[in-house]
Amino acid sequence: MGAVTYPNEKVVEFIEKHLVPIQVLFDSQPLATKFNIQWTPTVITLDEEGKEHYRTIGFLSPEEFIPSLMLGITKCHFDRGKFSEAIEISEEILKDYPKSDAAPEAVYVRGVALYKSTHSADPLKEAYKKLQSEYPSSEWAKRAQPYRLL
Amino acid sequence: MTKTIKWEKDFDRVLTLARAEGKMVLLDFFNPL
Repeated sequence: MGAVTYPNEKVVEFIEKHLVPIQVLFDSQPLATKFNIQWTPTVITLDEEGKEHYRTIGFLSPEEFIPSLMLGITKCHFDRGKFSEAIEISEEILKDYPKSDAAPEAVYVRGVALYKSTHSADPLKEAYKKLQSEYPSSEWAKRAQPYRLL
Repeated sequence: MTKTIKWEKDFDRVLTLARAEGKMVLLDFFNPL
């Protein structure tokens, strides 16, 4: 990460605009225990109260890391009931990084956030169809299978 | 001049900055080896 991804200009710009970054050694206490760190690198997205909402483990290229960070921010909003913000960022992931590993989960989260906003099952069915057609081998396509029955 | 990430080191300061700037926090645990 330190050699390839973090020096990347787009990564630097994204982090500067959207996040407050902190970097600590993998065994730094009390954080390593608090967040149960077993692998490196571990990258966690937290809200401003320090609560975890998303984590990745292992190297990610710049092309994967930015959408991964966007998904982390999406999850922060979703978990706190800020569904319109979660929908907006998940749609940015799908527009700008449709081939990233974060995209299938963005489809799923967008569908659930729309469902929670509208109380209509249609977005869940749409998420299922999109995952089946565009990301059929993803774990999120499997998780969305119950939505085909709605 | 090449821009680099301005990593913070203090967790409490990071949370204070995040509240003030309305941002989320990126916490990276790294291994220097």
